[in-house]
Amino acid sequence: MSAPSDVDEKAETPPKEPAGSSIAFTATLILLVGLALFGRRIFAGVFTDEVVRTWATMFVGVTVQALPFLVLGVLLSAALTAFVPPSFFAKALPKHPALAVPVASASGVILPGCECASVPVSAALMSRGVTPAAAIAFLLSAPAINPVVLASTAVAFPGQPKVVVARAVASIAISMIIGWLWLLTGKGSTWLKIPKNRHAEGTGKLEVFRSSMLHDFLHAGGFLVVGAAAAATLNVIVPRSWLDAVASNLLLSVLVLGLLAVLLAICSEADAFVAASLSQFSMTARLAFMVVGPIVDVKLIALQAGTFGPKFAIRFAPATFVIAILVSLGVGWWLL
Amino acid sequence: MVAVKRNVAGLVIVFVGAAVVQLAVSNTYLRYVKPGMRWMLLAAGLILIVLAVADVLADTRKKPEGEEHDHSGDDGHGHHGLPKAAWLLLIPIFALLVVDPPALGAAAASRQSPVASKPIQPKSNSWLADNPQGGPVNLAVRDYSVWAVWEKESMKGRSFSLTGFVTPAKNGNWYVTRMGLTCCVADATAFMVEARGQAAPPKNQWVTVTGEWAEPSKRVDGDVAALTVSSVKSVTAPANPYE
Repeated sequence: MSAPSDVDEKAETPPKEPAGSSIAFTATLILLVGLALFGRRIFAGVFTDEVVRTWATMFVGVTVQALPFLVLGVLLSAALTAFVPPSFFAKALPKHPALAVPVASASGVILPGCECASVPVSAALMSRGVTPAAAIAFLLSAPAINPVVLASTAVAFPGQPKVVVARAVASIAISMIIGWLWLLTGKGSTWLKIPKNRHAEGTGKLEVFRSSMLHDFLHAGGFLVVGAAAAATLNVIVPRSWLDAVASNLLLSVLVLGLLAVLLAICSEADAFVAASLSQFSMTARLAFMVVGPIVDVKLIALQAGTFGPKFAIRFAPATFVIAILVSLGVGWWLL
Repeated sequence: MVAVKRNVAGLVIVFVGAAVVQLAVSNTYLRYVKPGMRWMLLAAGLILIVLAVADVLADTRKKPEGEEHDHSGDDGHGHHGLPKAAWLLLIPIFALLVVDPPALGAAAASRQSPVASKPIQPKSNSWLADNPQGGPVNLAVRDYSVWAVWEKESMKGRSFSLTGFVTPAKNGNWYVTRMGLTCCVADATAFMVEARGQAAPPKNQWVTVTGEWAEPSKRVDGDVAALTVSSVKSVTAPANPYE
């Protein structure tokens, strides 16, 4: 059996002996069944506080909304790992990394769905030998420029096709800039943990597919929960009325809406509608909201930390945020 | 059977998958996401269950799996154990089973401004003008809250009927409220109509109010739709609490 190698070395339950796992299994089973049968009675009266219940609704909502996309993502990434030979990417992408970046950015169009799906897929691309710069460009462009997201943007801003154009242009530009920036600064660095290729020779393709999907889901799923908890907390803490105070100042409003996009972690298919409702803000600030959301938010940071390592996430998120804000300002000034 | 017994990963995934399927089948999912997500949730839940079952089957097929695990030093765990992060998947399950989170209500609504933001391209309400006769018109709170402010002329002197939950405000005022969802509760927007002339029903009570258009209230950040309410009727919450 191909043993899926754990990308996260430190996270581990040491005992592999049957007895330990057996206890864990039995305990988990009893816990889950017990909760299902008696949970509400045992904890009756504990979770009655309104804020706690609103938090729980937000938390479950973000998790439930993202889960199908995560499943789609791990399904695709497992399929890439199991069925697409590395030689395919070698042929499909230009040899020179600097040229591979724009091609990868543009191919983000083909992955429908929100940002949760693109993390496992780009990890699979890296493990299949695609240059990290190109995989990163794909990671950033896919959730922002796919047809579903652009269509929902068009619906949210009826009669204003320039908003759709500005969003697509800004998102592609950012993904290429970050990709090239990676080529300049990130090469040879130790802080990107490239997910290992788990393809053991001599194992059946279906077996590879099954085990890498299972492994990816368990990892990414856990980090999705962390991200959803963060998003729910911020959703409950940050009152939207604070926003009105800064709406009139262009620079400040762009920054604040960018930060809001990071904190709220709204799915990229829905963020255009929220942006449309923030009508006290300038178009440029709302563009920043739509451009930042799909590429850096608390849920994504958690997912990326789980997939590419915390050291990567801690550098990648601020860099992406700063460049996204600058590009939004530029594109907003030019197109909107 | 020993191999099956140890498969914690399969167990957790089955529970996650089953929880998602249960949400989709029972309509509980409508508290958290938009109706269109149902099929995606069903599909995702079933895929997870199949994945877990396949894993358990693969275990039983090849019992002597020790050799490959032994030499892999970088492999912190066999896949029967669970990566630490994956235990976190039990938290949403716990929340669903124990807290049973309700649909968003007054607590969430009162954190947002009741001001109706100006629509970029207003939904036409010309049929109102075309049908000047007739009793109270049933409107979505979402539509009324916008039209009452931005389409005043066609609303004046007409009576309307709205269904939503009660969000109390200061000084005994209250709002008939509906939350609008685009994707999930994280993007929920509150649509609120100030109900005038009647005492506030209990917080979060679902009501159908009937009354006449009233001049919007002024606030620092804009105008809030209002209705002079003549009758308040308590109703049960609709299957889909959002608009």
